[in-house]
Amino acid sequence: MSDYPDSFDVIVIGAGHAGAEAAMAAARTGARTLLLTQSLETVGQMSCNPAIGGIGKSHLVREIDALDGIMGKAADRAGIQYRILNASKGPAVRATRAQADRQLYRQAVRELLEEQPNLLLFQQSVVDLVVEQGRVVGVDTQMGLRFRGGAVVLTTGTFLGGRIHIGLENHPGGRAGDPPANTLSQRLRALPFRVDRLKTGTPPRIDGRSVDFSVLEEQPGDLPTPYLSYLHEAHGLADRPRQVSCYVTETNVGTHDMILAALDRSPLYTGVIEGEGPRYCPSIEDKVVRFAERVRHQIFVEPEGLNNSELYPNGISTSLPFDVQIELVRSIRGFEAAHITRPGYAIEYDFFDPRDLHYSLETKALEGLFFAGQINGTTGYEEAAAQGLLAGLNASRKVSGLAAWCPARDEAYLGVLVDDLINLGTKEPYRMFTSRAEFRLRLREDNADQRLTPKGRELGLVGERRWQAFTEKKMRLDSLLAAVAGVQINPETKLAKSLAEASGESVRKETDLAGYLRRPGMALQTLIRPLAHHAGVDLTGVDAALLQQVDTEIKYAGYIKRQSAEIEKIRRHEGMSLPVDLDYDGISGLSKELQLKLSAARPATLAKASRIPGITPAALSLLLVHARKRGPGNLAANTEQTSLGGTQ
Amino acid sequence: MSTRASGSSLEVDTIAAVATAPGAAGIGVVRLSGPEALPIAAAVSGPLGEPRIARLRRFRDAEGEVIDSGLVICFSRPNSFTGEDVVEFQGHGGPVVLQMLLGALLEAGARLARPGEFTERAYLNGKMDLAQAEAVADLIASSSATAVRAANRSLAGEFSRQVHALDEQVLSLRVFVEASIDFVDEDIDVLESGDVAGRIGAIQQGLVALQQASAQGVLLRDGISLALLGPPNVGKSSLLNRLAGEERAIVTQVPGTTRDLVRVPVQIGGLPVEMVDTAGLRETRDLVEREGVRRALHQGREADIVLWLTDLTQPDVGETTALEELDQARVIRVGNKLDLVSPGADSISTLGDVQISAVTGAGIEKLVSLIQQRVGYQAPEAAFTARQRHLQALEKVAGHLATSLDLDSGSAELIAEELRLAHLALGEIVGELTPDELLGEIFSNFCIGK
Repeated sequence: MSDYPDSFDVIVIGAGHAGAEAAMAAARTGARTLLLTQSLETVGQMSCNPAIGGIGKSHLVREIDALDGIMGKAADRAGIQYRILNASKGPAVRATRAQADRQLYRQAVRELLEEQPNLLLFQQSVVDLVVEQGRVVGVDTQMGLRFRGGAVVLTTGTFLGGRIHIGLENHPGGRAGDPPANTLSQRLRALPFRVDRLKTGTPPRIDGRSVDFSVLEEQPGDLPTPYLSYLHEAHGLADRPRQVSCYVTETNVGTHDMILAALDRSPLYTGVIEGEGPRYCPSIEDKVVRFAERVRHQIFVEPEGLNNSELYPNGISTSLPFDVQIELVRSIRGFEAAHITRPGYAIEYDFFDPRDLHYSLETKALEGLFFAGQINGTTGYEEAAAQGLLAGLNASRKVSGLAAWCPARDEAYLGVLVDDLINLGTKEPYRMFTSRAEFRLRLREDNADQRLTPKGRELGLVGERRWQAFTEKKMRLDSLLAAVAGVQINPETKLAKSLAEASGESVRKETDLAGYLRRPGMALQTLIRPLAHHAGVDLTGVDAALLQQVDTEIKYAGYIKRQSAEIEKIRRHEGMSLPVDLDYDGISGLSKELQLKLSAARPATLAKASRIPGITPAALSLLLVHARKRGPGNLAANTEQTSLGGTQ
Repeated sequence: MSTRASGSSLEVDTIAAVATAPGAAGIGVVRLSGPEALPIAAAVSGPLGEPRIARLRRFRDAEGEVIDSGLVICFSRPNSFTGEDVVEFQGHGGPVVLQMLLGALLEAGARLARPGEFTERAYLNGKMDLAQAEAVADLIASSSATAVRAANRSLAGEFSRQVHALDEQVLSLRVFVEASIDFVDEDIDVLESGDVAGRIGAIQQGLVALQQASAQGVLLRDGISLALLGPPNVGKSSLLNRLAGEERAIVTQVPGTTRDLVRVPVQIGGLPVEMVDTAGLRETRDLVEREGVRRALHQGREADIVLWLTDLTQPDVGETTALEELDQARVIRVGNKLDLVSPGADSISTLGDVQISAVTGAGIEKLVSLIQQRVGYQAPEAAFTARQRHLQALEKVAGHLATSLDLDSGSAELIAEELRLAHLALGEIVGELTPDELLGEIFSNFCIGK
């Protein structure tokens, strides 16, 4: 074993979405950072579907962007089709989704990494952690090189103990074409972490030249083409990739029959795969079995990139044998003559129980070691990247002797994600949904910067350019809100009449403009003219996104205020700690199931206990009274985190 | 003697208290509950015998002196009120005797129970939920048979069951709305085709029924206060005695007989009513009587219902400024002394809301139904007791549901928010994240030993 001549503050293992953000966050906050990867060719690789964003996920991307991370920037440089999901619903649940050219995405991530000062890349497999006095101080690589560092962030995705299944055949692998990290996996299994297996899958890829697009439904991107990064919204993006369409097709009864007939050769249905897969992103065989009454399942046909003809048929992830894959693909409209370029497969991998982590994503068992991404039981690039950013930041802060930071549940989806993971753990790959965030009305794409950029600036994550862009936007937003707040509408005035003409909504009694805007379907955009002529408020030239944000702030104001009161109440309950050694089995009013769940989770506060699935109000009252009976001398020290899950 | 629980990791001690109301009575009960209840009881009464069988025993203090003799019944856990071992001593009801018996139990190792501690233990041991625990307090405090029956139904979980049923409907709707937000790529129907409005409407119907029943429950639990006001000698005290069914107030021909407030608890058709007789309103130099008049007027402003009496034989006597100052929705004008009016005198039919004779009882039935009507009491068949806080929570639920109906599917996230808040409000009733203070208040409202 030879020592690398330089030592580092933070070493990041793995250069996927978590690893890239971790390395960038550490380097941005001034840590000398090393990014170690098995292959520099696959930095920023999208192993599954070629898309960034989606419901709940785009919110995370916006938060990463607000903290000056790279996912949104890279996605915009690679984005070839954008859609706003839930456009017909309210602003809090609207979500941007971008198809990304895989190659362009990798390239963008690589460029961004290479532009970053304080950050070095090195290609080499890590085989072991160097542990001295219960603390991680470095890593050993395959060739016998030892890197020393103050903190290590592990972001190895599905590579730990990875096993790929196609039909009843299986082999070790971290991703199609890449070997798993088995030596490291074995080393980690020897450490006191709870390890379990999860499963995920990917569909066969199809050669676009063999597809009959004329019978598929075209799905063009939304216009104007949105961005995922606010920097691009503010300054534009030169050389934006050409925009293309996606297509939609569907399975049919014939497809389903084929799948049912082949279940005896499915690793999922013959018990070969033990890891739990995601219920919300099931394989096609799962869908056919579980929703037997359905006669079709939708398939989104997504381009893999501008410079090749491969397609990603989103919706038919499968681990059936290859001959069945060919047959089932060709039973689908438009795919009758399809050629498969890569078979679909399922992959089983190790993940570590995230309940063994602190809010900082540092492991409880080994000081200086941080985990981020899929090894914590999550799925999705966005979930991984968000954790990566947090782990990289906190690794850097740890080395500098600074306190860890994690946003609270009412501040960011990132806070919800971490709080859920470390308190509840997960039984299936964890994906973000807006419904996981009880305060989602305040956690929007449009205000991610207001929520996080000032804090990010304070933490040293946010660079000058973004800070400028943010402060300008904030100023414009505040002055718009102030201007709108100053408008009173009297029914007898010209203003009232011209507003009614513009919007079709008459003013019967005196109101303020905010009240008028809170009526259903009302938008500032349509009121520009009357406001300019009769209220002296000139909104011409203000960009549409900002106007809409003003609409949203006004529309939600009452709800936000009420939620603030609720949050205040929860924060007051912070004092209601539960004793760490509370004997849940001894509380006879609790069901066996809840006793087990509570014993496993050992929630630090009543507020955390309330988020354990299946817990009833009566059970909570029971806990409260029991905790109280024990008296203050027995209460858990709960200084690290707030009940809303944040650390300051 | 050790009062530590054995076999349980929680340190629970054995508590004792006099369970019957203070004051001399034929029988008094002392209750004992906790892990050491059986040995402590045996130390006082000798062998207890099988559970649930009453035995006649002598109760002795630590020196072996006999305090009393009576019945002792033990209940072994978990089949008892508290879910712990429980022993009940039924002795003679004198306060001194009971205190001595209690003293003997404390000396044998029990601790004096805090207010509501028996019920708290029952709650902690999963014998009842929060609404049921409150119902126990209501049962004890019940001042009418109807209220007792209602409290019993709450205790049996009737109210909780109805709240839970409503909550489940809200929850299933929430699940649907959330799914339509988070799974747009799936084929989950949007709000219109999911008939969200129809489902909210159905929940509203159930809610209205529960609100009405709960409002009755609150009336049953809290009762109403009813003040008798009017000029002197119009028969206020006679009416009070008539409604109370016994002579409670002194009645004479002398105006101004009643000088201070006379409070009498009665029940009217199952509704607990605190009747307050007041001094007749008139100008007077008598200092005591003036104070009485002042109190009467104050009572008139405080009461839920004011019966304003006039003498039908002297309809024009007495001042009316005090009457005009009252909230008329709470006032029932009663013309009294119908028995002294010659039949057919047409002037009286317009006097007051109801004409009665406190002496003969004529018109009383009509008056009673008028009182019940005014407070919205319906002598319900299957009522359960409820509290103001329950009504407030249900009111909140109703508000959120109503708001959600005003939203269009372009605001699915706001519909979801209203449903979330409705769900939280329902949770408040059966104890969702009940704040400490609330729980403390609930348990401290119990009398010792109940």
